[in-house]
Amino acid sequence: MNLALAVDGLIAGYEPGTPIVAGASVGVAPGEIVAVLGPNGAGKSTLLKAVAGLVPIQSGQVRLGEADLIREPAHRRAALGLGYVPQLENVFAALSVEDNLALAADVGPRAGRHAQLQQALALFPEIGLRRRQLAGRLSGGQRQMLAVARALLGRPRVLLLDEPSAGLSPKIVGELFTRIRAIARGGVGILLVEQNVRAARAIADRVVVLVQGQNRLEGTPAALERDPELAALYIGRATGAGA
Amino acid sequence: MNLQFLMDGLVVGATLALGATGVTLTYANLRFANFAHGEFLSWGAYLSMTLAGLAGSLLGAPLAAREPFSIGVGLLGCALVAAALTGGLALLIDAVLFRRLRERGTAVTAVMASFGVSMALRALLEALYTTRPRYYSQELQIALPLAEGMRATPDQLAVCAVTVLLATGVTLLIGRTAIGRRMRAVAENPSLAAVVGVDVAAVIRATWLLGGALAAVAGVALGLLVQVRPSMGAELLLPMFAAAIVGGIGSVPGALIGGVIVGVAEATTVRFIGAEWRAAVSFALLIAVLLVRPSGLFGRRA
Repeated sequence: MNLALAVDGLIAGYEPGTPIVAGASVGVAPGEIVAVLGPNGAGKSTLLKAVAGLVPIQSGQVRLGEADLIREPAHRRAALGLGYVPQLENVFAALSVEDNLALAADVGPRAGRHAQLQQALALFPEIGLRRRQLAGRLSGGQRQMLAVARALLGRPRVLLLDEPSAGLSPKIVGELFTRIRAIARGGVGILLVEQNVRAARAIADRVVVLVQGQNRLEGTPAALERDPELAALYIGRATGAGA
Repeated sequence: MNLQFLMDGLVVGATLALGATGVTLTYANLRFANFAHGEFLSWGAYLSMTLAGLAGSLLGAPLAAREPFSIGVGLLGCALVAAALTGGLALLIDAVLFRRLRERGTAVTAVMASFGVSMALRALLEALYTTRPRYYSQELQIALPLAEGMRATPDQLAVCAVTVLLATGVTLLIGRTAIGRRMRAVAENPSLAAVVGVDVAAVIRATWLLGGALAAVAGVALGLLVQVRPSMGAELLLPMFAAAIVGGIGSVPGALIGGVIVGVAEATTVRFIGAEWRAAVSFALLIAVLLVRPSGLFGRRA
């Protein structure tokens, strides 16, 4: 199977010699939604940041389709088709909604920008209604929608979403996940980090569980639901595997 | 009461405003106070003068003035080239020094390094041109009567007009264009800007280029209205920072209005309290703003 994103044996961290991601591997096929789960401090968010180009990578491989991303700076990774939505501070609060979107639209080729914008706004109509508003004045859910819409304007082949459900009401999470599924149906591979295990199980085609920066479990949500080790990792029960 | 001091303040404020625009952009986008910014004014002024001298030698006669101003289109052209060269100087210093410090160190390291750059650039000017004051023109200008007993020379009015023109241009650039949008994004959150696809290094280069060029224009304006000296920019450093902070760091309209506020406050102090207190005005304004409204007039609250 041709992977949209292939991360292999990734070792990454802020300081050389003290990796937070310690050999993790994950692959995402086009149109597939892969959720990364794990206890606090497992390196889930750092994994996404390293793939996006914000955390130094010490070794390993990151490929977006045929492109090797390891030596590419963050802005080039975005231009090559990698969208990343951080968990916090994911919009430019002092810029209007329109300017937030235009920043991403400017990166791609001029042709098709308008259609791309219309497509993103059709998926997130609540953002379209607030185009002239400062992004800092949006609600938490609207900010998340804007951040995803903006990432879409970069015409991504893969979207990295860091805890998109954090701080949102179940209703908003449901709405957001419906849109994420729609994006995946359009062929975009999605790698999302979730603390919310139930939500991740509901949306993901496949789940990867990280512990201490390494893969611990992997499988379909249904299979993992029955795995006693996953429950143990989350409720802190000793499993002999260490966490 | 003679309101001439207001006119004087406005003219000084216009020069400060151009310098403060560069200060505020550098501060917002690079997150450090560049104490070498004043030297860009001096270098811009000297580069203009040197280019005018070279052009005069090539033409076999000094560049002609255009009545009623004390300078002509020739020096204006030299000032434009000097602005580009000063922007280039700012880029060069960033490539050689500040970029490396940004990658490795903290903002404090860059601030301390900028002190060193400031001294080096000034010493170089002194070595090349000596500390003797120079003038773009020796012509005496007659001040034109304006309203309420105020008078201004054609050069002073031209400086104000150029400031308004450039201020409008820079405000439109930052507020309405793609590069301006990127600059605002980098000022707010460089990491997020990068993952959205903004080439942060290119935005930083544009910031240096623009800041350096505006400083050079301010230097030429100052040289035209007062004189050209190696320390001319360094002496304006504190008022420029005061203007940028009064207006709110990162805000171009803020820097412009801040410049006028500092200029008029200085002139008012000279008129009613005494010239020896002039230098204290910037300090007083700086402290007052930082205590009462640290975000300045137009800055975003933290």
